[in-house]
Amino acid sequence: MDSSSSSQPDFDYLFKLLLIGDSAVGKSSLLLSFTSDTFEDLSPTIGVDFKVKMVTVGGKKLKLAIWDTAGQERFRTLTSSYYRGAQGVIMVYDVTRRETFTNLSDVWAKELDLYLTNQDCIKMLVGNKVDKESERVVTKKEGIDFAREYGCLFLECSAKTRVNVEQCFEELVLKILDTPSLLAEGSKGVQRNIFKQKPPESDASTSGCC
Amino acid sequence: MTWIPYKRSWDGIDSTGHNVNAGLLEKDRNLYTIRAVPLTDVHSIHRHAPPLGWQYVIVVLSSGLAHPPLYFYNGGVREFLATIKQHVSLLRSRDDANVFLVNDLQDPLQKSLSSLELPRAVPGSNGTALHSSISSSFSNETPGRLNDATVDGKSTTTEYNGKQKQKFNDPARDISIQVLEKFSLVTKFARETTSQLFRESHHDSSNSYERMQWMNSGSINMASIEPTIKQKVPDENPATLDSLQVDKLSLVWGKARQSPLNYVEWATFLDSEGRVKDSEALRKRIFYGGVENNLRKEVWRILLGYHAYDSTYAEREYLASVKKSEYDVIKSQWQSISPSQAKRFTKFRERRGLIEKDVVRTDRSFTYYDGDDNQNVTLLHDILLTYSFYNFDLGYCQGMSDLLSPILFVMENESEAFWSFVALMERLGPNFNRDQNGMHSQLFALSKLVELLDSPLHNYLKQADCLNYFFCFRWILIQFKREFEYEQVMYLWEVFWTHYLSEHFHLYVCVAILKRYSRKIIGEQMDFDTLLKFINELSGHIDLDGIIRDAEALCVCAGENGEACIPPGTPPSLPIEAESMYLPQDDDL
Repeated sequence: MDSSSSSQPDFDYLFKLLLIGDSAVGKSSLLLSFTSDTFEDLSPTIGVDFKVKMVTVGGKKLKLAIWDTAGQERFRTLTSSYYRGAQGVIMVYDVTRRETFTNLSDVWAKELDLYLTNQDCIKMLVGNKVDKESERVVTKKEGIDFAREYGCLFLECSAKTRVNVEQCFEELVLKILDTPSLLAEGSKGVQRNIFKQKPPESDASTSGCC
Repeated sequence: MTWIPYKRSWDGIDSTGHNVNAGLLEKDRNLYTIRAVPLTDVHSIHRHAPPLGWQYVIVVLSSGLAHPPLYFYNGGVREFLATIKQHVSLLRSRDDANVFLVNDLQDPLQKSLSSLELPRAVPGSNGTALHSSISSSFSNETPGRLNDATVDGKSTTTEYNGKQKQKFNDPARDISIQVLEKFSLVTKFARETTSQLFRESHHDSSNSYERMQWMNSGSINMASIEPTIKQKVPDENPATLDSLQVDKLSLVWGKARQSPLNYVEWATFLDSEGRVKDSEALRKRIFYGGVENNLRKEVWRILLGYHAYDSTYAEREYLASVKKSEYDVIKSQWQSISPSQAKRFTKFRERRGLIEKDVVRTDRSFTYYDGDDNQNVTLLHDILLTYSFYNFDLGYCQGMSDLLSPILFVMENESEAFWSFVALMERLGPNFNRDQNGMHSQLFALSKLVELLDSPLHNYLKQADCLNYFFCFRWILIQFKREFEYEQVMYLWEVFWTHYLSEHFHLYVCVAILKRYSRKIIGEQMDFDTLLKFINELSGHIDLDGIIRDAEALCVCAGENGEACIPPGTPPSLPIEAESMYLPQDDDL
């Protein structure tokens, strides 16, 4: 079922990315659009979901482990436990619903401060659903201003038309590659992964418990 | 571990085979061969070094079954044990220095089993009676053949008929009796554990033993077996275990599923006025086969507790009409909120917005809810919003639309669907509590059940720091709604709602699924991320009938020990104090 886990660790870095934001802003759709080039109506995420995508950026082969969290506040005690160890966070809002944008500063930015373990973690603001231009209520300028204030990257995209979807992840990853402390974490991930994929006989003698 | 007698010389001790000089007849060879037993399968090794005669060991399996003695004519018991020790933890029993426990037994069930160890010297006086308690092939072939042994590869050719009972002091025979006695004790233990649940089905004691055996073999099959051992296991070995008919004994699952309950049969459960005559029998029947779709409307309302089992047709009809008006009143509460009022009512707007966003992405590929402007989607919305007024403290939470969807599909009636949903939420409401206490108590109970029923997996998850069981969150929150096809979900839910073997049967289903993949999880050393991805991606790939049968067997095997893992008040049990069920959700929607 899972071919990626059994294949050789032919990547240079492993990065953990996290998608957060209000319910129904399109986090899962954005992820699906990025990982499998498709768009469809998705059920609300229960708990968390998780996808892996291999990409090549700047000549480096990267394994991206992307966590997709449930948006509803009620699940936050659960989802907050997934922030640990993330190198990049994508904060998503819906350009056609203002409250999803205001909640980013009211709720989500605070969450990040509280739970992120690496303060260098790269944050990216993404305004989704630009395909519904006629229904837009949050302007691009507002997004840029927010991004400037909170020191994050910014893009507008559409998971549906796939406009700027690749770019969201690419820009985020480029910035991570530019940050030494995150790079170090990313290669630790690779180390760990290589170790994990060694033939099992090497650790057979140590794992006598079962 | 493999043991092949009949070899002329030592091939050396390695992890795959322990060969011993012996010249046995072909039949004996079959008997004495141990075919590819995973070390996880082995409970203990008993060392015997009689002052006169050869040393031998007896391998006792976790199931309580023991192999005939393995003789070491040229010494080597110590090396044998040392080799085993390289692969598993070997613990000398506190009670007997010659007994080596192979797998550290941490779970209570296995401890109970190990406590059934008999004192070693068992007189052969009551052997015959014991023999009759188990399968004939075992009792006929077990008596050992001390004198068949060879020295330095030369057969002494002392042949004897296994069916004759030797009267002189034959250690092997004593051991066989000991094994048999233990066997019957295991049976007794299993029977006692499960007596309440298996009243009707146990015509003989072997049945309960089979279940015990299944459970143990299950945990072994799933357990981590070192690949090096596994790969080298020869396939063509003559099968002693087969000759003992263990295969027949060992692989017994829960009962086969029956066809769904239909109208004709349903009528037989009712008296002339429509009361369910024997709710226990009905629940059992549904547990084993579910309900035909056209009958669900009627049966679900009873299973869910909206209608009482002993209500009559007339009473049910009356209640439905009363409840219809009651529903309309609650619904009118939010319907009467004017736009200008809503403008000043943020909580309401937010709650409504959340529901609107969710119903349009709930089961839209299912015919009943597909297409634009589908009225049933509107009904989902109205019922959920009405529920959030009926139970304002709990409000709306994602996952509720998943739970309501099949109920509305079955009821095809707004008010009836609402009240059935209310009945379901009486039990599952705590899943959605803001502090997540309902979920945490279930995840905790699940971890305890896995500890009891699959200790290798438990140990692995502990070591991998995965004991929070968050990877099972979705399974539990919405009762496997996302893991199976729509029709399967309805079937699984009615099985749950019978509360036939346990109110918490869904937790045993969790264990059953985890157990199926336990070997993969451990073998691939999945970390939390990988495990979560793996579990999420199992969706749509789980064999439902097989899992229900596994879960049934696990539930029966765990018995009271299993129920003891589940704290009182854990959903879907009704809360201990009805008043404290829904704590105010402070500033939540």
